[in-house]
Amino acid sequence: MRTLKGLYLSGCIDIMGYEALDFYDVDSLLTDEERMIRDVVRDWVDSSVIPKIENACREGVFLDEWRQEIGSMGILGAPLKGYGCPGLSYTAYGVICRELERGDSGIRSFASVQGSLAMYPIWDFGSEEQKERYLPKMATGELIGCFGLTEPDYGSNPGDMVTKAVEDGDGFVLNGAKMWITNGTIADLAIVWAKLDGVIRGFIVEKDDPGFSAPEMKGKHSLKASVTSELVFQDCRIPKDRILPGVKGLRGPFSCLNNARYGISWGAVGSAQACYDSARSYAMSRIQFDHPIAAYQLIQNKLAWMLREITKAQLLAYHLGEKKDSGTWIPEHISLAKMNNVDIALEIARVSRDIHGANGILDEYPVMRHMANLESVKTYEGTHDIHNLILGRHITGIQAFTREA
Amino acid sequence: MKAAVLIKQVPDTTAKIDISGGEVDESGIAKWSISPYDEYALESALQMQKDVGATVVAITLGPDRASKSLVDAAAVGADELVHISHEGAIGSFALQTALAEAVKRVGADVVLAGKQAADTNAGSTASGVAKILNWPCVGLVSKIDASEGEFEATRSTVAGLERVSVSSPCVFAFDKGEDKLRIPNVRGIMMAKKKPVQKHTMADLEVDASNGGITESSVTYPPQKPPGQKFEGASSAPEVVSRLRDEANVI
Amino acid sequence: MTVTIIAEQQQEGTHPTLAQMVSAAKGLGGTCKVIIPGGSGEQEASNISGVDKVMKMTGECFSSFDSQSWSSSMKNSIEGTVLLAATPAGRELGASIAAELGISVIQDVTSISPGIKLERPVYSGKAIENLTTSENCVITIRPNSIEAAEMGGSAEITSQDSTESIRLAVLEAIAKASEKIDVSEADIIISGGRGLGDASNFEKLEEVASTLGAAVGASRAVVDEWGLPHSMQVGQTGKTVTPALYIAVGISGAIQHLAGMRSSRYIVAINKDPDAPIFAVADYGIVASWEDALPAMHDAIKALP
Repeated sequence: MRTLKGLYLSGCIDIMGYEALDFYDVDSLLTDEERMIRDVVRDWVDSSVIPKIENACREGVFLDEWRQEIGSMGILGAPLKGYGCPGLSYTAYGVICRELERGDSGIRSFASVQGSLAMYPIWDFGSEEQKERYLPKMATGELIGCFGLTEPDYGSNPGDMVTKAVEDGDGFVLNGAKMWITNGTIADLAIVWAKLDGVIRGFIVEKDDPGFSAPEMKGKHSLKASVTSELVFQDCRIPKDRILPGVKGLRGPFSCLNNARYGISWGAVGSAQACYDSARSYAMSRIQFDHPIAAYQLIQNKLAWMLREITKAQLLAYHLGEKKDSGTWIPEHISLAKMNNVDIALEIARVSRDIHGANGILDEYPVMRHMANLESVKTYEGTHDIHNLILGRHITGIQAFTREA
Repeated sequence: MKAAVLIKQVPDTTAKIDISGGEVDESGIAKWSISPYDEYALESALQMQKDVGATVVAITLGPDRASKSLVDAAAVGADELVHISHEGAIGSFALQTALAEAVKRVGADVVLAGKQAADTNAGSTASGVAKILNWPCVGLVSKIDASEGEFEATRSTVAGLERVSVSSPCVFAFDKGEDKLRIPNVRGIMMAKKKPVQKHTMADLEVDASNGGITESSVTYPPQKPPGQKFEGASSAPEVVSRLRDEANVI
Repeated sequence: MTVTIIAEQQQEGTHPTLAQMVSAAKGLGGTCKVIIPGGSGEQEASNISGVDKVMKMTGECFSSFDSQSWSSSMKNSIEGTVLLAATPAGRELGASIAAELGISVIQDVTSISPGIKLERPVYSGKAIENLTTSENCVITIRPNSIEAAEMGGSAEITSQDSTESIRLAVLEAIAKASEKIDVSEADIIISGGRGLGDASNFEKLEEVASTLGAAVGASRAVVDEWGLPHSMQVGQTGKTVTPALYIAVGISGAIQHLAGMRSSRYIVAINKDPDAPIFAVADYGIVASWEDALPAMHDAIKALP
């Protein structure tokens, strides 16, 4: 048993503050401002998310103080410029997602949906009045937005959605339902994609609009500290000025998703880092057969594999950020990064759980929570398989989403 | 009113301290931060900015890396930034003289500082600066209510907390403050980088940067602890207590 | 050489640190003068063996603590090296005296020997600074780091009145809030676990904590089961703490708890199970029931000089 004490004394085991795994010094490529933003978000996650997240998950709530504090940090809608938005680089946005998701995927989801899925379409496709009315308050978190595309029967195939809008006098009337809507129940407004005369259009629905309701979906084993809802429209009447004038067709929702998926490719690295961190520290302090399990080859093999995959994922995310900022990206670049980084993060969470042994299933450690979260992250914003098909189409020029030629 | 906040950049309190050649190996320190008590001083000055329209001047003394702490201060709202550049060891009196001179030059009416820095753990600066300026000093402060030229502060004493009043100009040394530290805002960070920093050297402040009467100084690791000892029965409690006093020096 | 000690102010008698300062002064050799700022205690001070002169200072400025006017009023009475106890007031006054005299101050030393050679912990005890200084300086010494001098002296007592005015006014004393020290900031933490048997027994820990100026912590098991505040919880999902002293009472030492406290500088464990894993990280382990060991420990702490 002395071995243990000896290790503690020699400083092999330290409880020093979070020092992100950054084997290739990828963060040295960031600007000074990006590193400062990273530190602010990282400190906030350490002080305000990690101590509270397990309880929030147990109770199934997204704490309102998180909304307020994320709002006061001014990181919502990070890459958008003007209208009170931060106007940061896409790389900075990615770093923010990574740091938030080290806390919890639900926290990052909140920020992704608000920024990329609700603020972005208003910013890109909204009227001047719409931008002035919503964006400044959304940037500070005073107004929460959500994004309604997926329907109970149309997930990977949103083009066949059945939610409909009909022009009626001085407004529109919406009918239909959306599902798996992050932030839905707490949202002040929803960006809803519905067919108007057979063409997909975006509409802004406010929470008090008649005929609109957003009941929360219960019973999730994943993203428990995130609000997930249905959006129900029963003859929901909205004024005419709520249609997004700037876009028609699937390009609207897809351009939102590109930005959100980009953020996820960074966010997943944060989850993976948290799982690696916990596994390393556990392996160093868990004694079996008189030695820390970190001294055994099978454990070292697992840790080395994690290091390898995280380092690759970091480089992928960083380079994609460069491409976003320089405008040299194509959607397929984002598909590859989202798919890869979430995939390795989930596998790292599983291996980390393995290293933690039975302790890994307890909420004393973050790994099972990240693992369960990442199952959702793997599926939302384009499933892993759909991203493979996007790449497959890019490689071959042949689409394989449908059975038609 | 002008409030000068003396901030020191220190290794983050969670940083691992490595020593080589009798000095702390700075290359091993991943993160530098504003010393924690200084942050409370800064927060209090920012309250004065809000309550009585005070101009907040952040002043630091240290090598080039220390300018980052000024940017951090600007990110939460400091209006003016002053960097006194100095590398290496410096005696307490020379350091306080330089800071006092900088305070005079910016024309501050009140100085706020942390009660001690997280690296040296000394706690001399605020009181020494007050003496050199010939201003009163209130130590172990947790809260200040400012009105024009007058302050009421809560300070901690052996007997408990007390409210004291003091007039400008004066110096406050902060304990943990009652006000929650504000979270920086990214817009503040972006603007902070562009804020000009007034640079001073010891020479232009006319300070002799000597190390006082200190002729030698080195840093070592604390002595290795003795191996763990196990005692049987409650009767061993006094023995353990006396070891905590004499061997471990912790009570 | 000459040493001037500024005694810690005390309403009656002398503060226990004075005899320790005298012992440090004797270690340096030379004459030893004690200045008593306000209050009383000159008689007791003169009786400490090794004190050569006692000077009591009186005047309006000593009605409450004002480091700057105190140092002004003392400046002409100070000779040679100045020693004070490194209490909060001692540190503030010591720094002010040093600046008044234009010399260096070295705070919170834990070892002092002729030369003058000093040791002081820095970086919250993660390192030790070793200094050599001229005699022309102010030194504050950490309380209880030096054996106290014995009684048996009879030094001459003089007094001096100061005309310095006080520059701050005490408006009111605020009843000491019973606010508990937070575990993440405490230098000493005493934590309880399931071995305490019942939440009400945390009162016993509170008593010891108030004697030590310590914070009270808890293991996750009792926070969850007995409904204690989460802010007390030390461990993987609670606070990670690094106090100078961590006393674990009735805590077996599950890996999750160790994760939060194993980097404490010194660890004391009280547990009746000699095989409890907490003993593997303890510097001082007491194998006994807490009901017996804790009161014995408390008595011994109270009996410390």
